[in-house]
Amino acid sequence: MLLRGKTAVITGSLQGIGKAALEIFARNGADIFACCQREDEQFAEYISDLSGNCGVSITPVCFDLLDEDAVREGAKFIQKSKRSIDILINIAGANFDALFHMVTMEQLKRTFAINFFSQILFTQYITRLMLKQGSGSVVNISSITALDGNPGQLSYASSKAALIAATKTMSEELAPKGIRVNALAPGVIKTAMTDAMPEDIRSRMIARSELKRVGLPDEVAGAILYLASDLSKYVTGQVIRVDGGIG
Amino acid sequence: MTNIEKYTECFVNAFELQDEAGVQSLEYQSIEQWDSAGHMVLIAMLEDCFEIMLETDDIIDFSSFEKGREIIKKYEVDL
Repeated sequence: MLLRGKTAVITGSLQGIGKAALEIFARNGADIFACCQREDEQFAEYISDLSGNCGVSITPVCFDLLDEDAVREGAKFIQKSKRSIDILINIAGANFDALFHMVTMEQLKRTFAINFFSQILFTQYITRLMLKQGSGSVVNISSITALDGNPGQLSYASSKAALIAATKTMSEELAPKGIRVNALAPGVIKTAMTDAMPEDIRSRMIARSELKRVGLPDEVAGAILYLASDLSKYVTGQVIRVDGGIG
Repeated sequence: MTNIEKYTECFVNAFELQDEAGVQSLEYQSIEQWDSAGHMVLIAMLEDCFEIMLETDDIIDFSSFEKGREIIKKYEVDL
């Protein structure tokens, strides 16, 4: 029970790594604000069962990351709960694959809007809530493509690289206030996003890994749990690869 | 407690002042505690107190007790 008594905010919790993080956080005793773009009946049933089984509170918060007003309303909803927020996990993201010369400015801006600008905006709001108690942990989900590059993924890789630079800057600014900020760089993880990747890109990345297989969302969630919990209380400003040994 | 009392109390608590004396004439960086870090603690306290979320431009413009009062009023807080 690494997170008993803690309250976490998780974006992108509807599926993939976000859903796996939701589950491992609940099983470790955290109360959770589960942020997602939309709430469907299946997800509502899932969080109802999970919260009941784990004896924690899970509150869905729905907003579109492309809508700044909606992001602010989502943060206000969390603020109004009057709970101290201990953990923020930024998982929500979007991918757009195209070779460098095929990337339109519109697509590039949209990818940055979702993967970077909205993450910064939401983190500004939520870390302001953390300032009151003078402690907190933020985990940003980046990607190994941000560190290594990957043909066909200019928009995604660049936006995730920006998130790493922001992580390092935020960690320096917020450390004096007791807030740690770290990033994870997952490799090829079995999610809807990587299922939609062109097969040649996915195969090439898997072939480069020591473990020669895709990772599973709960294998990333374990690393998120480590960075969110006090197990990593002397760790900030770091980027940890969870990639099966690529590079 | 009135809103102006709550507003003043946020300054006292954020900057760990002994009392309210001189609070109304405070300006950004006019005291050691109101530096960039103290500024964000003040903003966090005001947001919590009045259940609002300030726009970044307003956080930047929040340069004094009086200016802050004008800004908070924009968020439908009767100050």
